[in-house]
Amino acid sequence: MYSISVENLCKDYRIYARPQDRLLELLLRKPRHRVFHVLQDISFNVLEGKSLGIIGDNGAGKSTLMKTLVGTLQPSSGRLDIRGQVAALLELGAGFHPEFSGRRNIYLNASLLGVPDDNIRELEEEIIEFSELRDFIDQPVKTYSSGMYVRLAFSIATMVRPDVLVIDEALSVGDIAFQKKCVQRMNEFRQQNKTMVFCSHSMYHVQELCDTAIWLERGRIREIGKSEDVVAHYEDWCNSRRVYTKGEEHAQAHANDAPVSAKDCRIIHTVVRDLDGEIIDEVDPLQDVVLELKVEVLNDNARCYFGFALMKNLEEVISSYLATDRPDVENGPFRKGEIITVRVRLQNLALRAGNFHVLGGVCDDSGLLWYETRLSKEVKIRPNKGLGIFVMPSEWTVERN
Amino acid sequence: MFLQLISQWILSPVRHFRLFYQFVRQEFSGQFAGSLGGFLWLFVTPIVNISLYSFVFSVVFRAPIPENFGDVPFVVFLMIGYLPWFAFADAMGRASGLLLEKAPLITKVMFPVQLIPMVGTLVPYMVHGIALFVFLIYLAFKGYLAWTWLWLPVALALQFLFTVGLVAILSAFCVFLRDVQQMVALMMTTWFFLTPIIYPLSLLPARVQPLMMLNPMHSFVQFYREILLLGEFPMVHFQVMCIAAAVSYVFGGWLFMRIKHAFGDVL
Repeated sequence: MYSISVENLCKDYRIYARPQDRLLELLLRKPRHRVFHVLQDISFNVLEGKSLGIIGDNGAGKSTLMKTLVGTLQPSSGRLDIRGQVAALLELGAGFHPEFSGRRNIYLNASLLGVPDDNIRELEEEIIEFSELRDFIDQPVKTYSSGMYVRLAFSIATMVRPDVLVIDEALSVGDIAFQKKCVQRMNEFRQQNKTMVFCSHSMYHVQELCDTAIWLERGRIREIGKSEDVVAHYEDWCNSRRVYTKGEEHAQAHANDAPVSAKDCRIIHTVVRDLDGEIIDEVDPLQDVVLELKVEVLNDNARCYFGFALMKNLEEVISSYLATDRPDVENGPFRKGEIITVRVRLQNLALRAGNFHVLGGVCDDSGLLWYETRLSKEVKIRPNKGLGIFVMPSEWTVERN
Repeated sequence: MFLQLISQWILSPVRHFRLFYQFVRQEFSGQFAGSLGGFLWLFVTPIVNISLYSFVFSVVFRAPIPENFGDVPFVVFLMIGYLPWFAFADAMGRASGLLLEKAPLITKVMFPVQLIPMVGTLVPYMVHGIALFVFLIYLAFKGYLAWTWLWLPVALALQFLFTVGLVAILSAFCVFLRDVQQMVALMMTTWFFLTPIIYPLSLLPARVQPLMMLNPMHSFVQFYREILLLGEFPMVHFQVMCIAAAVSYVFGGWLFMRIKHAFGDVL
């Protein structure tokens, strides 16, 4: 059963030379505008209980698409069907009244989403609890920080249990702990067979939270498919583009030597293997693992320094391994077209709890400038006995007198 | 199509009553949020205003007792016209900013936008209704109470519908043309002085007097004065009021509903 079904959706903005032309046109029905196509020929379906990510550059039409889905913008042509109640988080606390307390705003916001008052009363506690704003809930929201704002807004939008949740870049404001809660809640949402549309510049979140993804480019769908694939292709494309300009600058500045520039290589994958060479996404504590980075060299005479890091999330490094200070590790120069596989064997992986990603990358000889990086899939640490975040190989003795 | 838009317009406060109620509550108490006096101002402001007018017109100008109104003091005559006018003028004055202020909401959240002009009109009527109520209590003690007072709620309701229609038109136009804001301010001042509020109709030249039937606000003001002060029911004015209210409410609503889908593109 499709929860969202969009067919040949187009959205044109009409550009008027003078503001009054728009009014005259509406009243007299005689065209007085130039047309700018924001969305062209968008078609996709989202199955009930699935989630869709929307990615793309600024100005690609992501927000317009979201607004059209929510219904605040009318499509110029095409068909759009959404089954069930929609809740949207397109802006931090749109509809909050700054002078009123958080509690009053819960009521107003929830009734905007179409929840009857009696139900809000039941949800109020839960919302306050989830937003962690208990001490501030009776303060006017104008005193809130933007993080607190979004916490309250997110709590309300998800707590009213809509059938379809549309979220635009809302997670980026909260602190890490709250982001984590949001991700959890969005996962619960998916488990309850609710549909979600999520638009973000955080590729990590799109990859983690969405089943399928759409890559929008200048108002058209450039790619639609499994989120990992689309995200990977989009990242590749971003990298190759960024690199192109950087490469040119480089070429002028250092015409003689041949330093690594981002143009020089492309990462094919970062994976984690066990000692038998199988790709794994679960490890036991103290297991030996092999981190593998596969790189395609795009230019002759490229010098590449490799590095790996175990990442707790996008910001937090658990442990890093660089080849820049290891003269024994080959760093080129490599020839164009070569495929290089770099492996690091980690002995007795000391993590005991939590999940991590492996970041593989290529950098310059200082280790400060990273040209290319690629995150592996999430690796889980298998549940095990004992407490604490890490574990060391240990030897025991018991002596009896 | 026309009927569908009109029925959506008319039924929306009922269909979305919860939201309507929350909006009204928000706007109404929003005026006093952060102020110490709070609702006290609702009563202090009209009392001070009425006292000031009494002082100016009975002490400074010594205005004559208006013709056809027996021995009604001028200030009473004035205030009965002035208070309902003030509700009207206040609602019209806010109309142009209504949708612009709510732009983030309109572009980001799907909800029946037509509630906004209704709320924007209702709130000033509530505020000034309190002033009128205070004044009526005073009049009742002075012995003006009559059966015709029962027409007052009907007349106020008609004036409200008349205002909602105009507010809907103005607020929608202002999205496209910001100049409306300036125009409204000028228009309201002109309208105020062209309506016999601070002067009795009898002061106008006899030739001009019939023209006043084209000004619905004159009918409203005159109607209030006759039912409240004289205990009479002026049928002609009542007819004008009904027609003006119906035309304004239906046409304003239709226009608003017809162009509201374009708000998202412009705001």
